[in-house]
Amino acid sequence: MTNTSTLSRGGGRSSDPGPRRPRPPRKAGGLPAWSIPYVLLIPGLLVIGALLLYPLIQMAIIAFQKVGLVQISGKKPATWVGLDNFTSFVDNDIFWSSLRNTVVFAVIAVPLTLVLGTAVGVLLHRLGKKMSLFVIIGIMFAWAVPPVAQGVIWRWLFDAEAGIVNWALNLLPDWLSTALFGRADWTGEPWLNDAWSIYMVLVICVVWAGFPFVAVSVLAGLKGVPAELYEAARVDGAAPWRTFWKITFPLLKPVFAVLTVLSIIWDFKVFSQLYVLAGTSNREAYNLSMYAVTEAFKAPPKMGSGAAIALVLTVILLIVTAAYIRQMFKQEDT
Amino acid sequence: MLVYQHRSALTISLVRTVGRHPGRENPVRIAKITATTVTTAALALGLAACGSGETPESSPSAAAAGGPKYAGKTLTFWRLGDSNPDAQKYTDELVAEFEKQTGAKVKVEWIPWPQVNDKFTAAAAGGAGPDVTEIGNDQVPLWQSQEALEPITDIVASGDQAQIPKNLMGLETIDGETYAVPWGGGSRAVLYRADWFKELKIEVPKSWDELVAAAKKIQAEKGSDVDGFAFNGGSDANHLLGALAWTAGGEYAVKEGDKWVGKLTEPGFKTGFAQYTGLVTDGLSSKSRLNQNTTEIRTRFSNNKVGMYLTAAWDLASIEEESKGKLKGDKLAFFPLPSQAGGEAQSFLGGNDIAVWGTAKEKEAAKEFVKLASGKEWGVKYATDGGLLPVYPEALAKLAEDPVQAPFAAAFAKAKAFPADPQWTEANETKAVLQNAARKVIEGKESADEALAAANKELEDILNAS
Repeated sequence: MTNTSTLSRGGGRSSDPGPRRPRPPRKAGGLPAWSIPYVLLIPGLLVIGALLLYPLIQMAIIAFQKVGLVQISGKKPATWVGLDNFTSFVDNDIFWSSLRNTVVFAVIAVPLTLVLGTAVGVLLHRLGKKMSLFVIIGIMFAWAVPPVAQGVIWRWLFDAEAGIVNWALNLLPDWLSTALFGRADWTGEPWLNDAWSIYMVLVICVVWAGFPFVAVSVLAGLKGVPAELYEAARVDGAAPWRTFWKITFPLLKPVFAVLTVLSIIWDFKVFSQLYVLAGTSNREAYNLSMYAVTEAFKAPPKMGSGAAIALVLTVILLIVTAAYIRQMFKQEDT
Repeated sequence: MLVYQHRSALTISLVRTVGRHPGRENPVRIAKITATTVTTAALALGLAACGSGETPESSPSAAAAGGPKYAGKTLTFWRLGDSNPDAQKYTDELVAEFEKQTGAKVKVEWIPWPQVNDKFTAAAAGGAGPDVTEIGNDQVPLWQSQEALEPITDIVASGDQAQIPKNLMGLETIDGETYAVPWGGGSRAVLYRADWFKELKIEVPKSWDELVAAAKKIQAEKGSDVDGFAFNGGSDANHLLGALAWTAGGEYAVKEGDKWVGKLTEPGFKTGFAQYTGLVTDGLSSKSRLNQNTTEIRTRFSNNKVGMYLTAAWDLASIEEESKGKLKGDKLAFFPLPSQAGGEAQSFLGGNDIAVWGTAKEKEAAKEFVKLASGKEWGVKYATDGGLLPVYPEALAKLAEDPVQAPFAAAFAKAKAFPADPQWTEANETKAVLQNAARKVIEGKESADEALAAANKELEDILNAS
């Protein structure tokens, strides 16, 4: 050990009298040097394998089987049903409306989160130190609220009778309310009955909780852009809009790429907030996650069919994410 | 990646002047670091969210110390519904008696009705389950089909239990084996605020029109946020819809040969369905609470927000507790749900059973417990203490003399049951077929004919699925 450290520190000018043999630089426990990174990866891989890969593979298998409680408890073996779980979706209205809800929600919520988050991030960058810190702490509270609590908060705000939203809308002058919405009386407006209004509340809820993360990430990226670039832009007389698209956006592209992928993943599989806002009895408001859960775990459980829905959701996510990443790399090559 | 960043920075015309600045590598590197950090943090959060676990419950199993038969053993007993003082007292006494007789301890857990199927599901999938459980009689076919119940035919064949009429065991007997013992019958009637009726000089409704008029009068006097007659669109919505539809001569489905044939599109069912959705479209119950079940309605009733709703006597004790003792005694009363033409409506033949769970650890002791609980002494006491109808004929005959219980006894005589099929729970709660049909009609998206035609097909598909 001493020998090694002397070697590395002293380089070739070691005063060690012994014969010097060439040996790999960092040798520990008799393992060849090339293997060390892999050995260090093993614990992590084991954890991921046990917690993620194994359940994932199980889910994929179950999706092609008929599995209920009798099979889970081991009284009867699970039977293979081929593609039955999937073909049953074809004429299933609940599946198609869930798929539509999932996709439309993500298409609306992802851009909204990113745009709002970026705007706030740019704003934070321009604010003074104290003000910026104050705003960051403020918005991080929204990000820190657990999903179920987010659902509860917005469900209460949009409550038909005790909700603050209906109260506030009623405070508007009648002529303004009529001009904007075509009605003046909002007493008892049930926001959480119809699928479209449930999803409107859900978009607000998810964007509200998701944008602070985007804002702070963008801010971190902006801190790394040297001020000289902006000075130069100002000298050349570029408008803020042009500065954003010519300097900020290209330099922060990797940040945006990661944020977009993460937002897509999060918004496609949103569950807790929807569960709290809509409950399980309104099946027109299901998204794929909700539908998978009710199929798989509500009596009588049909875990095969639930797994099939989850698999469909996973495949959609993989395709969307892969397509997006491919697009990114394509742009880089040009 | 690095090459790209390099070039993209250079291609920006505006920044070309500073392109040679020594610090130009910085933004790129920091942006990359940020990106990596963001990803790592996000993954870590995702993993942390999955990391919550359950602590398995360890049941102490001390060695039998001689003496009573099951000394040292512990049974888990699931009681369904919300614990209220009467039910708690009965359960405590029953458990104490069982311990005295056999030496076994009994751990009681209360499961609220809306969670019952989820809890059974978890238990049947291998989670912590009971040894003995109370169970709704319409749930028995489902859980029998999931092989979650132990056959207890020998218990009902002898002793007190042999006196229970066999026609009360239609849902419990499957292929010649009995899987649960009827414990108490529960038909439903309308619970109303007798004090409000008195104050507003409303007569007890004898027909549906009078009920509607009474509900409107309550709303006019007590505020528009009060439900005159509460609409039930939750997990037990069919208790209300069923009562209305059966009274009008309708049926859900009838078994013809070995196939279920849906009857939702026939005139009788349509009439009941129109009355049901009319509760909301006529404004008797608010449009903002289409999902509420009996438990939620009861909570609102306890808070003076409901004038009438369909339920059974077991709610009285919980209402007294929830209203902090304000609503009790002569402030509350029942009347039988009136039919459209006048006369009593047909009620849902509900009832609670007691059964041995299939994976019970102490099967013998569990059977012993069921035998004691459903015997004449404790079975009749269960029903009378809990506001249900006893399943033993002589005890039931006595009830017709009790003014509180008379409406139920009357309804019990005419009660009907839901389709006896393991898939009924799927249609009733999970897919909520009729709740969703009603929602579409109430929101004006479909006519009643369209919604019922679609629901009829779905109901047939579900009931005939294997």
